[in-house]
Amino acid sequence: MHMQGPKAKAVGLGALIAFLVAVPFFISTYNTHVAILLFINIILVSSFRLITTTGGWNLSHVPLMGLGAYISAILAKSYGLPFWVTLPMAGLGVAAAGLVFSLPLRRTKGLAFFIASFAAGEALRLSWTRLIVPFGGHRGVYLIPAPDFSPIPGLQSVDFVQPMPYYMLALSVMVVCLLIMYRVDTSRIGHTFKALYSEGSLAKSVGVDIPGYKTLAFVIGALFAGIAGGLLAHYMRAIDPSSFGFTATLYLLVWAIFGGTHSFAGPIVGVTVLTVLHTILEGAMSSEWIPLVYGIILIVTLVFLPGGIESLPERLRTSKSLQALRARWVSRKGDYESA
Amino acid sequence: MSLLEVRNLSKHFGNLMAVDDVSFAVEEGEIRGLIGPNGAGKTTMFSLISGFLQPTKGEVIWRGENLAGKPPNTMVRKGIARTFQLTTLFKELTALENVIMACHLHTGTRLWQQFLRTGAVRQREKEIEQKAIGLLEKTGIAEARDETAQNLPHGHQRILGIAIALATKPSLLLLDEPVTGMNPTETEATMEVVRRLRNEGITILLVEHDMKAVMSTCDKLTVMSFGKKIAEGLPEEVRKNQAVVEAYLGTGYTHA
Amino acid sequence: MELVTQTIVNALLLFSFYALIALGLSLVFGVMGTANYAHGEFYMVGAYVVWLLYTLNDWPFLVTVVMAALIVGAMGVLAERLLFRRVRGDVVTGLLMSIGLVFVLQVLVSEIWGVGKPKPVAAFLTGTLDIAGASVSWQRCLVVPVAIVILGALYYFLNRTRMGRSLRAVAMDSTAAALQGMSVDRSGLLALGIASAMAGIAGAVMSPIFSVTPYMGHYVIWNCFVIIILGGAGNLKGTIIAAAILAFLSTVVTTVWDTTIANIVASLFVLAVLSLRPQGLMGQAET
Repeated sequence: MHMQGPKAKAVGLGALIAFLVAVPFFISTYNTHVAILLFINIILVSSFRLITTTGGWNLSHVPLMGLGAYISAILAKSYGLPFWVTLPMAGLGVAAAGLVFSLPLRRTKGLAFFIASFAAGEALRLSWTRLIVPFGGHRGVYLIPAPDFSPIPGLQSVDFVQPMPYYMLALSVMVVCLLIMYRVDTSRIGHTFKALYSEGSLAKSVGVDIPGYKTLAFVIGALFAGIAGGLLAHYMRAIDPSSFGFTATLYLLVWAIFGGTHSFAGPIVGVTVLTVLHTILEGAMSSEWIPLVYGIILIVTLVFLPGGIESLPERLRTSKSLQALRARWVSRKGDYESA
Repeated sequence: MSLLEVRNLSKHFGNLMAVDDVSFAVEEGEIRGLIGPNGAGKTTMFSLISGFLQPTKGEVIWRGENLAGKPPNTMVRKGIARTFQLTTLFKELTALENVIMACHLHTGTRLWQQFLRTGAVRQREKEIEQKAIGLLEKTGIAEARDETAQNLPHGHQRILGIAIALATKPSLLLLDEPVTGMNPTETEATMEVVRRLRNEGITILLVEHDMKAVMSTCDKLTVMSFGKKIAEGLPEEVRKNQAVVEAYLGTGYTHA
Repeated sequence: MELVTQTIVNALLLFSFYALIALGLSLVFGVMGTANYAHGEFYMVGAYVVWLLYTLNDWPFLVTVVMAALIVGAMGVLAERLLFRRVRGDVVTGLLMSIGLVFVLQVLVSEIWGVGKPKPVAAFLTGTLDIAGASVSWQRCLVVPVAIVILGALYYFLNRTRMGRSLRAVAMDSTAAALQGMSVDRSGLLALGIASAMAGIAGAVMSPIFSVTPYMGHYVIWNCFVIIILGGAGNLKGTIIAAAILAFLSTVVTTVWDTTIANIVASLFVLAVLSLRPQGLMGQAET
């Protein structure tokens, strides 16, 4: 375990945040829009990754995000609650749903968890299409109010319909969420998550309550999925079940696998690189082809780089062919120098 | 009252009776050897006692309380710890980090305290590091503390497994083949650690094939074969027991 | 009374349909150790083959069904060679890979031949059969004899031919089978070829009934997964029983309520089964 000085890390982080705050002043409105969605997706993929540290590929993650979107939207639209209430409520509501989901998922792992979590997500998603009240069935919920910060002075007069203020809002929420998730990941709790996955018998033998910790990871992941959903709802101002369907889950899987889930930053890098790619592709081809590209990226990554991009540096370092090249270069250098 | 009593314990896997109606008791402060030929059911017995497997029948009585079927984390809390036959370690962590991890996993700080990295948490972490170093010293591998676990020589790995189990402050330690694969020097060093642990008040139940180590360290032996208990008693008595010799037919052990 | 017989008839048809598709999925799981989520897309391609050849080019219907079997079977073989062979035994990676394949196939089909209105496939058999008050079109019934023939052939193949028996051996223990000289790779090709062909046939035979769209595989595949989980993936007998159970339950629920409710119930059922028995209803427990 290598650690840089915490001071250096804090300075680097501060610089990055300052950079991100400055960015929207220099890019187009469209790219600001892309950035907002990227921030939301970063929260989504990081919370997904948290659950994978205990070995679970949670295929209900996108539906859970959708639930958060619906909760925040309905609370704001039908009950007039302000954003700073509805967003945490979305998080807590989805955390509660996660707790409920984790009961049947308790004893499952590997493939069974994969399929069971998908089943739970499907049941949830289908219930939105079936229940006109309050989910609006196929049409979903629309005319969702923009974030309302009353009665907080200063914030309540900001027009969050504009992309720039929403960008700042999304950025702030994302930074807070990531800090919390990072703290969990590097705490003893996070180490327990990874220990229980990599050496389950050993963890059990020193007294770890494995189902309890897996549930904890699931609930925390669900909470942040809910927050991502709430952020999305008030930005898009209209949501429906199709926004949280299988294609969205595919994208999530590709981000996570492409980036790699071993490190905290892996999936974040993955979603960022792929979002940039997506934006470029959208200019070059019609958007219908894009799921195909994602499918190919998923397959290629799984075949050639199963650890994701984050495993690339390690792979290159230990690559035998590269080592051979290096050795040859070194010996040739020696030849020249002795001549 | 015995510290641990196993009563009519059975474990069936379909038609296979891995453990068949076995009863014995281990007294506090003993070093008990559980021996028998391969396939006798010794590791299954360990898994039953430590909660990794649920018994088909019978009781596991710990200080008078029947704990049969409880999960491993409950057993650990009650004071029963185990090591594994195949060395199970956190491979990419150093020896010290392995023991720290075990200490961490075992002690409990509240979640919100974890978040804030309060002074109390930092203090606790320092204490844990000291404790971990102490355990490494007690088991004699302190000099390997910064080596990555998977790079340690086999003998050190097995001892590290013991140090990890000790992190849970057990009253009963189940050692599954602690000296298998070790040379005579390592074996004697490890058995010396086992004796020292007993002197500090930890009861030991160990499974081992190395008869020299078993004979020289155990107070009493329980012998299993094909899932059943076939003999029990002092090492010298058991050694001469006809049934035991027959069970081991072919292993060629007759003298120390 | 008519409602009851109608429900029974519908359930029977659905059972034949799902048996044809789910059995292949189960076979692949047993032999390759992984599940192919794109199996639903193979089914879809079978339907498209019929549309292309029968509707657009006037080929005889039954010939197009055979063509569907061949083409989709070839696709399965290709998928094994390129993809699934590499992840033999690794269930989650194989599944993830096949999810990627789903999107590749869906987009290819929808871009080449368009989305929007379902592709029309005229009924091959016209007229309806009336039994005991229930009425069903002959076209719908076609799947039953087809299923019987195919499954009978599969049974014969797996139990009475050398190739089939070695396939089963590989499914049971691929290391042991390899030690006895059976080609594990060839078994994979065979399994995937057979399974995909069966899915293609199902798609072909049902193409006049179901809407032919690029996404028609989506709910079919989910129900197939429900079936193999209930029946124990790799357990062919269990899969057939599970297909019967699902077909019956699904038909009843759809008749009383609607398809969405049926899908919700199916999802909840899977959840319930897996939570109590993570190895499926008829799978082997891991100790």
